[in-house]
Amino acid sequence: MKNKKNLWGLCVMPLYFFTLLFILGPMIYMVAVSFAKNNGGAYGFTWNFTLNNYTKIGDPIYLQCFIQSFKLAFATTILVVLIGYPFGYFMAKLSPKGKKIMMFLIMVPFWTSSLIRLYGWIIILQVKGVLNTALKAIGLIDKPLKILYSYPAVLIGMIYALLPFMILAVYSSVEKMDWSLVEASRDLGASPAAAFVTVTLKLTLPGLLTGVILTFVPSMGLFFIADILGGNKIVLVGSLIQDQLTRGSNWPFAAALAVILTILTSLMIYLYRRITHVKDLEGIF
Amino acid sequence: MKKRLIAALGMAMLTTAAMGISASAEDLVLFTWEGMFPQEVLDNFTEETGIEIIYSNFDTDETMLEKLAQAKGGDYDVIIADDYIIEQAVAAGLVGEIDKDIVTNFGNINPLYQGQFYDPEDIYTVPYGAGIPLIVYDPELTDVEIKGYNDLWDPSLEDAVAITANYRVINGITLLSMGKSMNEEDLDVIAQAGEKLLELAPNIRMIQDDNTQDALLNGEASAAFLYTSQVTAVLAENPDLEVVYPEEGLGFGIMAAFVPADAPNAEAANKFLNYILEPEVSKQCMEYIGYYNTTGAADDIVDPSLVVPDSVTKGEIIQNVSEEANEAYNKNWTEFKAACGAN
Amino acid sequence: MKKKRVSFSKLYLVIVMLITYLPIAMVVVFSFNDSKLPVAWKGFTWKWYQELFHDAAMIEALKNSLILGFISCAMAAVIGTLGAIGMARVNYKSKGMIEYLSSIPIMVPEIILGMVFMAFFSLLNLPFGMVTLVIAHTAFSIPYVFMMVKARLVGIDKSLEEAARDLGASPSRIFWDITLPLILPAVASGCLLAFAMSFDDVVISIFVNGPRMSTLPIKVYTQMKTGVTPEINALCTIILIVVVLVLLVSSFFRRGKKEYK
Repeated sequence: MKNKKNLWGLCVMPLYFFTLLFILGPMIYMVAVSFAKNNGGAYGFTWNFTLNNYTKIGDPIYLQCFIQSFKLAFATTILVVLIGYPFGYFMAKLSPKGKKIMMFLIMVPFWTSSLIRLYGWIIILQVKGVLNTALKAIGLIDKPLKILYSYPAVLIGMIYALLPFMILAVYSSVEKMDWSLVEASRDLGASPAAAFVTVTLKLTLPGLLTGVILTFVPSMGLFFIADILGGNKIVLVGSLIQDQLTRGSNWPFAAALAVILTILTSLMIYLYRRITHVKDLEGIF
Repeated sequence: MKKRLIAALGMAMLTTAAMGISASAEDLVLFTWEGMFPQEVLDNFTEETGIEIIYSNFDTDETMLEKLAQAKGGDYDVIIADDYIIEQAVAAGLVGEIDKDIVTNFGNINPLYQGQFYDPEDIYTVPYGAGIPLIVYDPELTDVEIKGYNDLWDPSLEDAVAITANYRVINGITLLSMGKSMNEEDLDVIAQAGEKLLELAPNIRMIQDDNTQDALLNGEASAAFLYTSQVTAVLAENPDLEVVYPEEGLGFGIMAAFVPADAPNAEAANKFLNYILEPEVSKQCMEYIGYYNTTGAADDIVDPSLVVPDSVTKGEIIQNVSEEANEAYNKNWTEFKAACGAN
Repeated sequence: MKKKRVSFSKLYLVIVMLITYLPIAMVVVFSFNDSKLPVAWKGFTWKWYQELFHDAAMIEALKNSLILGFISCAMAAVIGTLGAIGMARVNYKSKGMIEYLSSIPIMVPEIILGMVFMAFFSLLNLPFGMVTLVIAHTAFSIPYVFMMVKARLVGIDKSLEEAARDLGASPSRIFWDITLPLILPAVASGCLLAFAMSFDDVVISIFVNGPRMSTLPIKVYTQMKTGVTPEINALCTIILIVVVLVLLVSSFFRRGKKEYK
């Protein structure tokens, strides 16, 4: 018995070692930097303790960025769930061959550059683009739509980039689901909808949750989507951090933003888990 | 079995690590943006000197400075970057002096680009191209005749203006449009510029540093504020576009090459700097990148549109400002972007 | 009635996939367009492909990216899979903390990760290059494998393992014969994701790469800044074709193997 414990302990050793050295180490460093003092317009920072970087976040303009970013992340996540869940679900019900083909089709775009795929959207959405030309040809519009460099364009880009994560997470969870439970509830007289909510949805919640987290969290930071499809006009927390790091060269402020963002997302995930009553093992953490 | 797998992985990692380190006889690490040299210039240099060039890229000046600082002034042999960041690199002690015994072509440099704020004594840098951001517009899509920055605020240009994404430059042209200096330090004046900038927001179609000129060509924007290389590129594609030298004054920037303080192969680096100062090589380079020629000795042979117009001397260079002022510029910028996204 | 629903679900799958492939199709089509701008069709050309093949730096970068992807993905597969299996069975107090920490790389914006990795590696005096790239990529790959395997483990019938144990199978036998085959699909999809992320990562790589090391995404990204897009369209098309071929061939061989068995 004891032997076996040791074996499992041995299994987690690499994870412990790697995480402590290469994740905890850098994170401690980031927290430390967030309390350091910025060197003004000049390069670098000094190790003088200050809370300024945190009080600065209270500034209305930065708060506004946080709120805007959260709203976009929410909208993205909800839409991705609405599109991705049925997809993962339907996909898991295909024949083995159909599943294989679908998996193949989902993986292929993943392996091509995401930047390039965003450029594909530019080709479609731009004023003289494919969509406008098509709409004009069938007489739906006479003046081209200015879709690019707007909020909807950013939303499209976000959904496009993050949908596959949701699909894969839901799919793997539906796939391994015990269908006899659904049948049992149907036999007991539950309507298809009731059976879905009480059994299927509940059993696939871990997958859905994984998908939500894989969607929500990156959508706060995918600044290059906001840059490329939003014409750099939608300020996400990610773009704010990017701005501080590059153009502003203010590492401490960027680190403080990152610390706050990490805490906020952790908190949200924690709350979500409490609300949905997904306990310990079934969630991610 | 598991162990063997891990061992194999470890081996694979070590092998690749070793592959990364092994270097050929003599080489030179050139660190700059992508697309700053025509391939044949690099090839010819290798042919003449036997020194291999490793062309390494960064995306922004700040990334460059960060990496150079982490390498403690080593790892890289020649770096080409923007004026203001070089001032910071010099201040941080990361820049080495030019060996003028090797760089015998130092006299070829146009003196207009020497004695600048980042290198007042001309000991650290060799200028490599200069730029003036300008306004370009499509007369077919625009109702107003654009003469200066102020015209960008015209209501008829709603959702039709593309601008570059440098916060100091955009703050700067707003200040110029108010008759102030681009390097204004007075916080009240900067705040006023911030107010004025907010009024520009409804006209902004996109804010982008790269390929901003494409917005003019594909009809996304009818007017654009562009860097020199972008102006050159857009005119090559569509000569019917109008170029405006804004009447309120011009911004101005210089890119320069330097050798880091602890460059592994400083001698080769200096040889390279000397090489790019050859008039014929300068001509090739400048025509490739589309910036104004900084090698005076090449003025006669380079494409005339790349020879400094007289107006350049009136241009103002963006310099590093006080912490408070920089902070205020940053804030203006964030508010401006948020306002652009809100409509 | 039942038949109708099936066809609706298939229609849905097809429509979503069509939209997914639309931008990619555009990229492919415009890689043959005789104009630098992706606006109007100006005629067919191979010239972007020719330019691409003459770009030695690009090919070198591709090689680096493949090596980096394989090593970091393999490391993540080992660390993540073992970790998930072990974690399900140990009761360490620190367990929750470690699981949380290991997921941090996908919780914070990449740019933050890039910056802290760079500063931290510099602190450790690690030489910037393949080693630092591998560590950074492994860090953000582990959570994908770990989560996939963990989600899969939850659904595995514990009684299978118990039955095997009751029948006298050794722990290692149970692992190789029962647990591993059951979680293998999860490991595989975690790895595929991890490799794809590594093969596409710009933001972190640009911070931790060395002076003599460039990866394909960095090359693409920095080149995009100067606007040589059609060449990149061409590259994307080629990668697409290679990926499709590799996946097709591998599935063909897998099928073949099964038949001989």
